[in-house]
Amino acid sequence: MTLTLDNLHRLIDALLAKKVRVVGPKRTGAITVYAPLAKGTELDLDQLPRRSAKEVFFPPCETILSFEKRDGKTTVSDPDLDLLPETVLIGVRPCDAAAPGILDAVFSWDYDDPFYLERRKRTTIIGIACTASDDACFCTAVGLAPDARQGSDLFLVPLQGGGFAVESLDAKGSALKERHAALFSAGSNAQPLPLAVPAVDPLDLAKVKAWLDENFEHPLWQEIADRCAGCGACAFLCPACHCFDIVDEGGEGSGCRRKHWDACGFGKFTMHASAHNPRDVQAQRYRNRIMHKFKYYADKFGQTLCTGCGRCIRWCPVGIDIKAVLDEINGK
Amino acid sequence: MTSNHQNTETPLIDPACYAAATAAIRTEAVRLLVAGEVAAVVGYRAGRRTGSVMPDVATTVEAAGQLLFSPACQNNLALFLSKAKREVLPHGRVAIVVKGCDLRALAGLIGESQLRRDEVHVIGVACPGVFGANADLSKPLSAEGLARKCRACKVHLPEGVDLVAGTLPPLPDLPDLEAEEIARLEAMTPQERWAFWTEQFSRCIRCLACRQICPFCFCTQCLCDRNRPQAVDTSPRPAGNTAWHMVRAMHLAGRCSGCAECERVCPMDIPLNLLNRKMAQELYELYGFEASMQPQEQTPLTSYRDNDDQSFIK
Amino acid sequence: MHAEKQHHAFEPKLVAFVCTWCTYAGADLAGTSRMHYPSNVRVVKFPCTGRIDPVFILRAFQKGADGVLVSGCHPGDCHYMAGNFHARRRFAAFRQLLDFVGVDLDRLQFSWVSAAEGGKWVEVVTELTERIRQMGPMREFRELDAEEHWSAQLDEPEIRAAYNAIP
Repeated sequence: MTLTLDNLHRLIDALLAKKVRVVGPKRTGAITVYAPLAKGTELDLDQLPRRSAKEVFFPPCETILSFEKRDGKTTVSDPDLDLLPETVLIGVRPCDAAAPGILDAVFSWDYDDPFYLERRKRTTIIGIACTASDDACFCTAVGLAPDARQGSDLFLVPLQGGGFAVESLDAKGSALKERHAALFSAGSNAQPLPLAVPAVDPLDLAKVKAWLDENFEHPLWQEIADRCAGCGACAFLCPACHCFDIVDEGGEGSGCRRKHWDACGFGKFTMHASAHNPRDVQAQRYRNRIMHKFKYYADKFGQTLCTGCGRCIRWCPVGIDIKAVLDEINGK
Repeated sequence: MTSNHQNTETPLIDPACYAAATAAIRTEAVRLLVAGEVAAVVGYRAGRRTGSVMPDVATTVEAAGQLLFSPACQNNLALFLSKAKREVLPHGRVAIVVKGCDLRALAGLIGESQLRRDEVHVIGVACPGVFGANADLSKPLSAEGLARKCRACKVHLPEGVDLVAGTLPPLPDLPDLEAEEIARLEAMTPQERWAFWTEQFSRCIRCLACRQICPFCFCTQCLCDRNRPQAVDTSPRPAGNTAWHMVRAMHLAGRCSGCAECERVCPMDIPLNLLNRKMAQELYELYGFEASMQPQEQTPLTSYRDNDDQSFIK
Repeated sequence: MHAEKQHHAFEPKLVAFVCTWCTYAGADLAGTSRMHYPSNVRVVKFPCTGRIDPVFILRAFQKGADGVLVSGCHPGDCHYMAGNFHARRRFAAFRQLLDFVGVDLDRLQFSWVSAAEGGKWVEVVTELTERIRQMGPMREFRELDAEEHWSAQLDEPEIRAAYNAIP
């Protein structure tokens, strides 16, 4: 089963005509981010979007309730999640596509988070294999690959001469394909374009975890933290990071309670109301980042909270390279 | 010396000058550590990826021998001597590698009593320029890759330092793109400017990289982290983001050293340095103030004169 | 003019940040002298203009003020000697920043009003009120406040209307 590039654009236009929201990498000004597309030709498959696809399911900021006081009465309203639009997320590389499947565990662990889960239910993911990478990518070291199908409902493999081979991986993918069957053609003999395989040293994640299990106190954390500036760039760009803060905004007459992204690197992340801060030095905070991704999440859910997309490496203001950190731990 | 188009074979700036600076830094760093004059040297060392560097606090002779200077040395290391990075100064007396723009930040910190000049051994680098944001560090430095701030730089040669590492090569003469952009914005109507800035700020996710990388954002509790009272909303919505960036620009006015790190580290490519440079321009026009490589006793917003402009006050 | 604006005539909401010792006393004098002036202004009292942080001005606009007045003692008369000198510089700089970001400076007025200048207070407030009345409500920050990230948007006109109804 194949799809030409033109038909991919037509597929997007057809979905839009059916009032389905189509989200994909879109160039806005100087950068490419995941954004709703207005037409098929807006899709930009050449760049890895600056932010990950997690914002489709976990917005940077969303209202979780609002209140209004009128004539002495206060009304509290919850957003009607039935109004969330049907969405097709398209042009997602494996490092982004695999993440929602990893996050499902925590968002349905002790509480079924409807804000996340409703969005997951209504979204079909069309993944695409990677034919370009850079030296920050390391998906292969964390159990993924440039053509990993994990997390995608439909998967596209770019072909020599243009167009894509299409695979349907589950019921959602098949359903989408069936609804627009006319745009897809029979398989061709065209070969896939060479995949972009990151040239990185492999990681033995079990070995890394075993070291983390034993080395909560180790000078390594201080060495890295000497550099860490304590911003949230790594956490916010990461497909797998999912911490959030809840704030009340507004005034006495009306307002909203909102949920927005937070980062364990921030100095006040673990500040208690009593003013005690259990992680009040950067070494403890950076340690938490690595532990959460490569030990705690594995302990709790049997998965690694990292897809090797490399964004944290590219945009860390002080050049902290998580792959180099992991290599160092792997070598111990 | 003018070079208007870039032949990819010829680097924009002679790489030998970076190599010379590297050699001088290594020699000095090793000497200082061996003599026990400092407990640590804050400089740059190579990262894992080709062409990348990262800040390093070298406490051993071996580490000091790895310090380097290249066009990828973008970080303003003065950050590591501010109150916000409590980990570094406890090592003892430190040496620091600074470009001219970084030296202005260091001078500013000394002027604000955050640091004493005698606590620090300053290795100034004769810096012809570094990469800007999103540049490919594995390629040679080109006009496109050069940081915008470097086109307008007046502090290529550090002054008042303990050692100048390297010498300046012939420098390219490139148009000052940042000044052109500011002029372009100034020529717009207020509505057009509002549309420009709100579009920029709508991409902000409040990662606060701009604040954390700034040597002058060292308040133990940032105004914008307080919720009693809530001066600026913390959620990454356009209204709060606009307020956040304006408050930060105001808090830096008269202090900002023009290192443009805030703009470089912004993962959403918001041109933050335009705000800071505009404020610097205004403070120069109003009060004759400029950031300097020497500590200054007075900054424009912590001092006054009887005859300051009040034409805007009824 | 939009149809909705003619529905009820626009009454500007003005916030005035004033110092206790001069302008507040001047405003008080206007009151005791039974001078009439528009009641659109809400006065917030500070010990000194030197205490007025530019972020208060931003917050006022964000929370729905259509115009802001900042007023204090004449230079040389500050109760705390130099507070208004520092304020003068701070506001000179802040105005440039506001202008650069695209806020209309006609909505922000600074003045020196002494404790004896009840008449001047009336003049300043009246002039600002009428100017803002002509300019109309300040939409810029309110429009920003209604914006949501696309993935947080629920596609429903009622939600949009609810946001617009927030005063």
